[in-house]
Amino acid sequence: MTAVAAPVGRAPTRAAHPVRRLLLERVGLGVVTLFAVSVVVFAATQVLPGNAAYAVLGHSATPQRVHALEVQLGLDKPAVTQYWDWLTGLLTGHLGTSLANNEPVATLIGPRLVNSAALVVAAGIVGTLLGVGLGLLAAFRRDGLLDHALSVAALTVTSLPEFVVGIVLVILFAVVVSHVLPAVSVLPPGVAPWDDPRALVLPVATLVIVIIPYIFRMMRAATIEALESDYVEMAELKGLSRARILLRHALPNAIAPTIQVIGLNFLYLAGGIVIVEVVFDYPGIGQALVDAVSNRDIPTIQFIVVVLAAFYVVANILTDVVALLATPRRRAPR
Amino acid sequence: MPDTPPTPLASPAYQPLSRRRFLTGSTAALATLGAGGLLAACGSATPSTTTTSSPATSVATARPRRGGTLRAALSGGSSSDTLDAQQGINNVDFARILQLYNPLVGYTPDVVPELALAEEITPNANATVWTVRTKQGVLFHNGKELTADDVLFSINRIVRNNYPGASMLVGLKINEAKKLDTYTVSLPFSAPYASLVEAMAGYEYYLNIVPVGYDPKHPIGTGPFMYKSFTPGLQSTFVRNPHYWESPGPYFDQVVITDYPDETTQINALEGGSADVVNLLSASASTSVKSAGYGVLVSPAGGFTPFTMRVDVAPFNDVNVRQALRYIAGRHEMRDVVFDGDGLLGNDIFSIYDPEYDHSIPQRHEDFAHAKFLLKKAGQEHLTVELVTADIAQGTVSAAQVLAQQASQAGVTINLNKVTVTEFYGTNYLKWPFAQDYWYYSAYLPQVGQAFLPNSPFNETHFDDPHYTALYNEAVGTLDAAKQADIAHEMQQIDWSQGGYIIPYFPPVIDGYSPRVKGLLPSETGLSLGGYAFKRLWFA
Repeated sequence: MTAVAAPVGRAPTRAAHPVRRLLLERVGLGVVTLFAVSVVVFAATQVLPGNAAYAVLGHSATPQRVHALEVQLGLDKPAVTQYWDWLTGLLTGHLGTSLANNEPVATLIGPRLVNSAALVVAAGIVGTLLGVGLGLLAAFRRDGLLDHALSVAALTVTSLPEFVVGIVLVILFAVVVSHVLPAVSVLPPGVAPWDDPRALVLPVATLVIVIIPYIFRMMRAATIEALESDYVEMAELKGLSRARILLRHALPNAIAPTIQVIGLNFLYLAGGIVIVEVVFDYPGIGQALVDAVSNRDIPTIQFIVVVLAAFYVVANILTDVVALLATPRRRAPR
Repeated sequence: MPDTPPTPLASPAYQPLSRRRFLTGSTAALATLGAGGLLAACGSATPSTTTTSSPATSVATARPRRGGTLRAALSGGSSSDTLDAQQGINNVDFARILQLYNPLVGYTPDVVPELALAEEITPNANATVWTVRTKQGVLFHNGKELTADDVLFSINRIVRNNYPGASMLVGLKINEAKKLDTYTVSLPFSAPYASLVEAMAGYEYYLNIVPVGYDPKHPIGTGPFMYKSFTPGLQSTFVRNPHYWESPGPYFDQVVITDYPDETTQINALEGGSADVVNLLSASASTSVKSAGYGVLVSPAGGFTPFTMRVDVAPFNDVNVRQALRYIAGRHEMRDVVFDGDGLLGNDIFSIYDPEYDHSIPQRHEDFAHAKFLLKKAGQEHLTVELVTADIAQGTVSAAQVLAQQASQAGVTINLNKVTVTEFYGTNYLKWPFAQDYWYYSAYLPQVGQAFLPNSPFNETHFDDPHYTALYNEAVGTLDAAKQADIAHEMQQIDWSQGGYIIPYFPPVIDGYSPRVKGLLPSETGLSLGGYAFKRLWFA
């Protein structure tokens, strides 16, 4: 989330008015969305067969033990009461207690949230920089060998699911071909991802490889369009250097449509990390969510889903704000 | 117990050691091996059924070495992981709990009951009162000595909270259980219970001894390793217990156990050098692990994964239908497909390693003609049934698919209903008409108590045969081993000809390990890595 927030710093003050209106409107809608999401998710958990008591006891779930645990976990209360308890708890700052192990959800999920955020932010930033850079380069060398090679590579990678990319990287760098990087990224509890950057390399690389093609292709197309425009022709006629034309004239105009794609890729990352987390046994919220669903651990499911939904809402708002800021003609006061 | 065989159990009824010695020919060697740590014979104790392949196992005679951190990448686990000594749930719980705690009685790797914290367990003449004397000088991790108070506290905690172990202490008059002296307790039962020792030996019932006032948040036990850290669903770190009561070992300074949700990731961890041992591999994965130069331990386990038919609902309430399905199951083929031919063949009777198991009952083979005859007799020539399957244990879904295919050749339609593990053990658990299950090894009579009596907690087949129940009560009522075995054989005839289980095979347990890990022995308990006996392992 913080990565998307970074470009906001560039916001020129004269744009405040339409941006503020957009923000107010979208934040209000966002809150409504989050509430709706929490209701829908809670309802969905009620439809799932079984409950946390059955799920936790598993093979040893005799009716007597299930009943005792249901009472202990409060699962014998009506669904509406359970939801109300959760919502009022949330509004008073209590995220609830995990049904799987009786620990506060915040203590359980907090460190995992940090881990996942580190993965998303690192992959997002690296992927964006590489995608934008390569896109510019390909547009600049349009129809050259490099351009064709990059386009073919991008198309190839687009057709590979992330677990294939991840496994290929593991084979290349950790297991068969060489042993330079760890094959799994198990972070011991209490160790932050930045304390062990080697563990982050392969998961981040996997995600970067998966998102680059989209950003690259959009950036290339938008830059080519800008380079074919009248103002670039004008700049060329004025005798400006090609580098200056690319960076000062084409880039600012190409970036606006690309920002939407970058935003979409950040949203994708929030979901895409689930698979990468499993492939590398990386302790993030994706893994925690899968686990919580199979444990029917409703407070944990609710918390993670609301966090993910909030990320979607915030990322969407930021994308629109940044796109607005990057398109001066759209923010002229009417 | 380095050089002496395990203390014989005090009662004349408990001589299972002799039969097992006879069967394997080398239990004593194995026991010495386990304790003394001579690797030379590793895998040769039961040569016909065990394969241990590693470049390292042939190199022998190295003496165990102290030190190092064992990194175990274990299959399964979730945020419901627990260190509670007496109510573990999943496989990784097993691995952790076995490091921290000890029971009164355990199993040797070849499933002979072996006294652990108990020095002596003696019944009265009719097996209604059992006297348990603990070993002296055993220290808990906090330095306190184990006494009768701890044993009473532990048993009370299990029974009063109805933890899994309570089902192995049925009939215990908990209010009359009392301390006789510092190390001795007396446990009175409402009816004779001659199979108590075998019942308590099953690790899956977590009859572990904890100190008075035990709080699972401070997991203190008597086990070979002591708690250092634990995060459910992720990882735990335990350190060597320098005062462990059993010697030699433990050898590692530390044991780090990490949950792995996925087999591919487990293997990557092993081959990428991030893990020293991995467990519960599939047959196909074992081939690739082997070819990459890592060790594979295939244990001919005594656990089982039965198909369960409810004998009280149609069409399975007709014994002909049950028997027909048993004749449809092609056991060899199923075992070949699912486990590449490893594992023992099943004959629809459980507890294959129990000295009371009747090996004289003929092995059932697929016989479609007989199956069709039985179905015709039942008026079910075009039988169509639904089989509920889930990934509850290694190979269960594949086995269900093979059975469905075999059934179609016999004109029977088995529709597979694959559900998630959570749904399988959800509200319909123990009620599915036709499903599967898994069990670790247990001796015969305790296993009957778990699943085949009207009051059994896990009577998934809803079996309720008064004659069978009477035989059970008679068997647990006698301390005469020969008589008990005769009765058990009679019960097994009933299992074989009327029961609700199809037991096609006993699934092998397949684990992988780095060549530098020494001391691994196959275990017949159904648990991985020699019964998670990390205390016996060391690094070369």
